[in-house]
Amino acid sequence: MPTLAYRHPETGEIVDLSIDRDGLAHSVHGELACIDCHRRSYRRYPHPDRPAPGDLDCIGCHEDDDRNLSRGWVDIDAEFKRSVHAVSDSPKAAGFSCHSCHDPHRFRPAAVGEPIAQIVRNHNGVCLSCHGSLSAASSTSHRWLPNRDAHWGSVRCVDCHTPAADFANHEVLPAEKSEKNCVSCHSADPQLLARLYRFQSEEDIARHGLFAKAVFNEAYVVGMSKSPALDRLSLAIMGLMVLLLAAHGLGRYLARRANRMA
Amino acid sequence: MNAFAKTLRTPKNARRLLITVAVGLLVLLMLYKVVYPIVFDAYVGQSNAPLTYADSQPITEDELEAMATELSLSARRAAAEAIVGQDENAFARRVKVEMLMNTQSFMREHEPTHIKYFRDANILQYEGPKTCLQCHATIKVRHHDGRTSEVDTLDDIVNSVHFKFQSDAGGGFSTYGYDGRQVNAEGSRPIPVGKINRACGIPGSFSWTGWAALVESRPESTQGEVELRSEGCGQCHIGGNYQPATEKMMPIGDVPDVAKEGIDCLICHSTEYDMNQRYVIRDHVGLRWNQDRTMRAAITVGRATTKNCLNCHQHNMGGDAYLHNEAAQALGEQNRRLLHTGAKRGNPFSPQDDVHAAAGLQCTDCHVPEGHKIPRGRMGVDLVANDLPDVEVSCVTCHSAAPHNRSEHKALLNGHLDRIACETCHIRELQDNNVVLRDWVHPTWDAEEGIFTPTDIYRSGAVNKGFTFLWFNGNGTFLANALGNNPNGSTQYDPLMQQLARIEDPEIVAAVREQAIALKKTYPDIDVDAYVEAATDPLSQLAPEQLEERRRMLDENLRVHMNDGKSRIYPFKLFNAMMYEDMGNQGPFGAMILPFDYTTYYETGDTAASVKQAIRDPIVQRMYQEPFKLYMMDEFMAYFGVSGGWKTQYPLVDGKLENVEPKWMRQMGSLMVNHGIQPVGRDCVECHSPSGILDYRALGYSQERAAELENLDIVENLRLSATDGGESASRAGQILEITPAGARDIGSTAWDSH
Repeated sequence: MPTLAYRHPETGEIVDLSIDRDGLAHSVHGELACIDCHRRSYRRYPHPDRPAPGDLDCIGCHEDDDRNLSRGWVDIDAEFKRSVHAVSDSPKAAGFSCHSCHDPHRFRPAAVGEPIAQIVRNHNGVCLSCHGSLSAASSTSHRWLPNRDAHWGSVRCVDCHTPAADFANHEVLPAEKSEKNCVSCHSADPQLLARLYRFQSEEDIARHGLFAKAVFNEAYVVGMSKSPALDRLSLAIMGLMVLLLAAHGLGRYLARRANRMA
Repeated sequence: MNAFAKTLRTPKNARRLLITVAVGLLVLLMLYKVVYPIVFDAYVGQSNAPLTYADSQPITEDELEAMATELSLSARRAAAEAIVGQDENAFARRVKVEMLMNTQSFMREHEPTHIKYFRDANILQYEGPKTCLQCHATIKVRHHDGRTSEVDTLDDIVNSVHFKFQSDAGGGFSTYGYDGRQVNAEGSRPIPVGKINRACGIPGSFSWTGWAALVESRPESTQGEVELRSEGCGQCHIGGNYQPATEKMMPIGDVPDVAKEGIDCLICHSTEYDMNQRYVIRDHVGLRWNQDRTMRAAITVGRATTKNCLNCHQHNMGGDAYLHNEAAQALGEQNRRLLHTGAKRGNPFSPQDDVHAAAGLQCTDCHVPEGHKIPRGRMGVDLVANDLPDVEVSCVTCHSAAPHNRSEHKALLNGHLDRIACETCHIRELQDNNVVLRDWVHPTWDAEEGIFTPTDIYRSGAVNKGFTFLWFNGNGTFLANALGNNPNGSTQYDPLMQQLARIEDPEIVAAVREQAIALKKTYPDIDVDAYVEAATDPLSQLAPEQLEERRRMLDENLRVHMNDGKSRIYPFKLFNAMMYEDMGNQGPFGAMILPFDYTTYYETGDTAASVKQAIRDPIVQRMYQEPFKLYMMDEFMAYFGVSGGWKTQYPLVDGKLENVEPKWMRQMGSLMVNHGIQPVGRDCVECHSPSGILDYRALGYSQERAAELENLDIVENLRLSATDGGESASRAGQILEITPAGARDIGSTAWDSH
């Protein structure tokens, strides 16, 4: 029922308990019956205050089905336990769980081939649902980052805020440990390709060269989307230019000296 | 052409042209202002004359001062007593009241404001609107969308439903004709709709023929002595004229100024208004309603309060005979008003029976006026005019989408709101005297009042007897049937063939039979079986081809409007009546209802004679003539579900009624009930049990779903825990706390770690 809600006795805010049927149907859990997850707690009404132990435990269900994933659910669990969300002792992070970010009634993993811009929007939406004040117009956060808004629109928060080396998307790092090295992405061997762009189809990833990267990847990343041949060509043109300038200067110098002598 | 223009342009000719145009306009204006009203009045048989009221008397300055002192004291005492009301000790209370009564700021605050104004302006006589308009010629109006505007007060009130009982083109609710067209939709030819011409189950609602009547009653107590009694629509309408504002039905023309002088400002604005002044008087022109125009009433004017509204509106809510209807305690110092003992809705607004009234809410807190236009909300089925059809009046405006806060099952209860209207649970029953079936054709002698009254063959305020539950999306038909449908898009839900067209409850059928047998003693012609069948199965009055046509029209014309928007289950008061109908204008949903003349009806009980008298009224005769046919009746009939236009065959020929038959309307009307709200709603099991009050199958649920809803595990569990813990079912269990939406919960507390 869309009206399943109550007014929180302390805050006075309306707490919405309703599940969006369409959202659930399109989610990764769309095929499940409610009771599959809410096994013990929702068998009877009135439901208990807290979920019964074992209910709503992602790993409990997902332990066995790692086969299709690049990393196992146990790894994810381990990553999360190292993340700032788990280790922080801020009261705001108390009780942080998978559901804090992944609404199980809506969650749907990004699929290969989905437009990158949409993936970025969806992923960042999860972060911004709590960290929304960062992206406010007056926010001074990430000021050091050149072209800040362009970055926010085209890379995911986790691309910088998780350890680059082991693709541990769930090990969210504190601000000071996050990636600040531009070259990590803006280089010929960018980590970005292995992370965000893994949602590109294999074919797209296999493409090389400026044209292929810039056009087919929907993005031109300075320093990454480069063509060695073009680099060499421009280096040659630059060298030639320097030589030309030097020759011109030398010519002028020689000509002047000849004039003075005369 | 050029030459002609040139001649025109010569100063002399131009001047001539100007004069001609001016004279022409002046003549037109004269025709409109002087000739048209005379012709119109003559055409519809109206009369107007300057109105005088015996109680509009000047007082002396000393009298004003005495009155001022007395009224201030009583207002102050009432306020003081309300404040110290909680104190237990009677003596302490008296002392406190006395202290407050002598407190300067309290004295200033509780003096009726107009005492000072009247004193300063030296007003010593109240002469109706004229007096009020001296200061209030214009008023500032705040609209629901935040706009403000300044309007002419008299104009504002004259064009409000309270004065003219009809609304402008395009107004009204989303009322659909049985022909499938929205009444007065944009692009259609607008016809006046409202109480002025409504053909509803209460004859005499033709306010033209039932405006004001003096009835000679012969009550038992006076041993045959005649007592004059007042009756008519005008008792509750603020125009003090000899007839309703018929002029307003026309696209041009206005109510004459003398009629506007009859507007009763004080019945809505005075706290001391004396309903004993509200009775019918006869003068040299005709009958009209008297009103309280004393200085006492005038000096206590202010914003309209609940008490003011209930002077009239308890009539259609709790009913005239409702125990706490204050206005019914003051029936008139002469020609006492006749009380209607059967209630129209039976859902009173009073502190005793409505939680909002008990909380001291004023009517205008929910029905927030914009000047003199008062909103009724956007939903309604009763083809009554609506000044502000786009303004919302609903529970959620104050109660929010999550109204339940006390119960441990609050979330579950709030969940119901998606399908169930608040009223469904929070109006548990209507008053006992709520009329369901009324026979106007076979009246009964009321010995106590000494008049013949229509016979109520079934009255009940009980659930599924006096009212039932229907899907409702805000749309209604031309004859007040709620439209809506189960959100599952059911084709099984069929109220105009089922819930509203059939009474199957054996108790009701037995009660009707009993009444029919009783009536047969007075009216030997009655065939009891046929009578019971017609009353409880009104469709039996239709020929097979009419039934087929009805089926077709429902499917083709109304089904689509039933599926509009969002439907929820609402309670609806049910009503049907047997009346005389003009069978020449009949369709599958009913025929044109003919009005009764009150005096003949009440005095003689000769209903046929009463109809004859009423339709002799000039305006009813006009109704049966070509201009009225073309102006509105054709359109009216099309909405009514009668094809082929309005037949102008006047049903009275040589003093005999022709082609007129007593009939029950072909389906029951359904009236929305929204007052009489109880703080505690229904218990779960009242609906969720096999013998529950909701007939899920008739409401369009599949067999399986209906069975589920009737036997919900949840309710069973609640019952168990209720018996275990010895608590009532609705209070058992624990508070629902969230987990699935935990994500959103945390999400809503924005935080930043940077």
